[in-house]
Amino acid sequence: MMRTFRRGIHPLENKLTADIPLQEFPTPDKVYIPLSQHIGAPAEAIVKEGDEVKCGTLIAAAKGNMSACVHSSVSGTVLGIVQRTSARGTPVPHVCIQNDGRYEQERLNILENPSREEIIERIKEAGIVGMGGATFPTHIKYQTTKKIDTLIINASECEPYLTCDHRLMLDETDEFLRGVVYLKKAADAARAVIGVEKNKKDAYIKLKEKAAGLGIDVRLLKTKYPQGSEKQLIYAITRRFVPTCGLPSDIGVIVSNVHTAYSLCRAIELGEPCYKRAVTVSGGGVEQKGNFFIRIGVPYGYIYEKLRGNMVEDDTHKILVGGPMMGIALHSLEPVTTKGASGVLFLTDKEFYHEKETQCINCASCVRSCPMNLMPLEIEACILGGQEDRLEKYHVQSCVECGACAYVCPAKRPLLQAIRLAKQTIAKRRTK
Amino acid sequence: MKNLVVSSSPHIVSDRSTKKIMSDVLIALTPAIIASVCIYGLYSLLVLFLSIGSCVLAEFLYNLVRKKEQTIYDLSAIVTGTILALNLPPVVPFYVPIVGGFFAIIIVKMLFGGIGRNFANPAITARIFLLLSWGSLMTSFVSPVNFGEAGVMGLFSYFENIVNPNLPDAITSATPLAFAKGALQNGANPLENINMLDMFLGKTGGSAGEVSALAILIGGAYLLIKKIIDWKIPAIYITSTVIFTAIFYANTGYAGEYVYSYLFGGGLLFGAFFMATDYATSPNTFIGTIIYSLGLGLLTVLIRKFSPMDEGVSFAILLMNIVVPLLDKIIPKPFGAPKKTVKDLFLKLKTKRKSKDGEVCSTAAQISNSSVPFVKEEGGSDGKK
Repeated sequence: MMRTFRRGIHPLENKLTADIPLQEFPTPDKVYIPLSQHIGAPAEAIVKEGDEVKCGTLIAAAKGNMSACVHSSVSGTVLGIVQRTSARGTPVPHVCIQNDGRYEQERLNILENPSREEIIERIKEAGIVGMGGATFPTHIKYQTTKKIDTLIINASECEPYLTCDHRLMLDETDEFLRGVVYLKKAADAARAVIGVEKNKKDAYIKLKEKAAGLGIDVRLLKTKYPQGSEKQLIYAITRRFVPTCGLPSDIGVIVSNVHTAYSLCRAIELGEPCYKRAVTVSGGGVEQKGNFFIRIGVPYGYIYEKLRGNMVEDDTHKILVGGPMMGIALHSLEPVTTKGASGVLFLTDKEFYHEKETQCINCASCVRSCPMNLMPLEIEACILGGQEDRLEKYHVQSCVECGACAYVCPAKRPLLQAIRLAKQTIAKRRTK
Repeated sequence: MKNLVVSSSPHIVSDRSTKKIMSDVLIALTPAIIASVCIYGLYSLLVLFLSIGSCVLAEFLYNLVRKKEQTIYDLSAIVTGTILALNLPPVVPFYVPIVGGFFAIIIVKMLFGGIGRNFANPAITARIFLLLSWGSLMTSFVSPVNFGEAGVMGLFSYFENIVNPNLPDAITSATPLAFAKGALQNGANPLENINMLDMFLGKTGGSAGEVSALAILIGGAYLLIKKIIDWKIPAIYITSTVIFTAIFYANTGYAGEYVYSYLFGGGLLFGAFFMATDYATSPNTFIGTIIYSLGLGLLTVLIRKFSPMDEGVSFAILLMNIVVPLLDKIIPKPFGAPKKTVKDLFLKLKTKRKSKDGEVCSTAAQISNSSVPFVKEEGGSDGKK
């Protein structure tokens, strides 16, 4: 029986690149590696202008515990540390490296039969973060002192368009599964479950075949958005609820993404730190859609020029990093690929919405679609009406910002924006 | 590259829109309209057009006078007009639907803020307003046209009554619910002298759109398949009416007959599928919907049995509409909130006055799922207010 969570939506999948195998992507002459690609404190640069680096050289060390190391993705000369705008539009220091085109490697030592501590240390050294998009430093997740019984690998990839995890499972099955084994050991979990959505049946069958001997369980889940949301995925697989302000580890579960497992396997078996990742490039604005291994620090403008083909430049009106439900819209082509960027979509006018909002008709579609069982229409009414006291009652902080409410709204109201504003309003009131 | 659109997520939306929902409702109402023409002739179409016309005109004029953006294109005025017309007796003087249409749109809908803001269903409130204004007109129901006798000319029956408010007794007909009421007083079988199949198909006295159970069920099925309405409202409303009828009429000895009569003879099906499900006036939450639908069923049966009126659906819906703002105060627990026990409730009552403690999420779980940058919240709110 296929499992799932309550409520949720069924957006058009548009997985245009599901059949295109992963390929290596060329790298430009200069890469800009951001020092803050993760949640927490930015890493501290340890290289300076003129230093020679290789692929995998540590260029910025984790600062404090809630941080992650950053490595060079090319070999060449450091040109300096420059401020560039990130995808979110904020200025972030980037290490600019001149690519010498030789791609010489600097590897960590190869671990054989690593212990739990060694694996966690390797996660930290290799700068692995949650590669599904959240970019939470992975070693912190696994350092937990709580008893973990289940490791869940999030292979649902519920966002439309994105297919990089799907291709990773098909093209790099063995490395991925070995990565899952390492993660299971790092979590000290009794079982590991891979949750795959039904629209990736080919990956499910392939994994099922190979995972049997490794003590990994593969589960088929209903195709529904947001199946890949951590709390919903845990509920679908274990029927446990993550408490409102708690962590998955509170109920004995750790969730990691497919790419995290894959990167870990490479870090342990090849000693390769996390300096490139699988990225889906899709949308109507590019001719050569596909799934590529792209090094960290490649400007999106370079990707666009390489893949645009004969498409007219002015047809692309929206560029998204991530999927269309939760992704970030870029203001220019200046930002670069990061560890958390699982896809970049070049959308034409037809592929995103322009409708103007109309009056709320109180249909409660948003309430019926909310995976967290919130009332978006009431939250929006409070925000618009300035009723901050009333806002306190609606559990705004539980929102996972999946956007299901705004997706289903027939009046096209910007419900998620209202909820984000409500979150900030409440946070401000609480700190007063 | 120029003209890049920067906006916050989500970047795609479904193709549902207010207009599409309203046109789906109109499609679902079509079988009932066709049935009313087949049963009472073209006069019911005249009433329909007058009602729709006055609703649209009322909304147009209101927006014009208040200098607001024109909202008639969302089709909701047409839906209100159609539902109102189908709620009226098949033959009413021309001014009745016009007054009703203006009342529904201006007083009930627009003055309260337009679509989605009305406190009660406009069509129902207008119907009750008309019932209180022209009691005898609103309760005299003509018999179905006998097409076997009148032939095609039967389509043009009743047009002589366009201004005449007083229908001759010869052409009026009692509704199945009036029979039921009479039967209750006499202790007789409510289905005596009534053909059960005719009643299901609608060849009986009653409001123009409410008589044909078959047509309404077709339209209702369409709404359910297209997921326009919440299935729980008609399902619970109809089931609870059936159950309450069976309970309240158990002592008459004809409970089964009363159930049949109440199910297919009055406005129950039409009300359950098209009026109780009105978005603005039905609850937004699961628990609210259940209380609302159960209340509808109970009130319908109570009014039908204990009041002097034959029919109770519109009053039941109006009364429950007024309860809805209260039901919407029930806020569901979010996913993952701890289950409340009786002990917690006591604790809550005790501590309620001391502090208003809300949940504070500064944990990584919250952040790893959210796309806002890391914002650390300083401590809780305990004792700071």
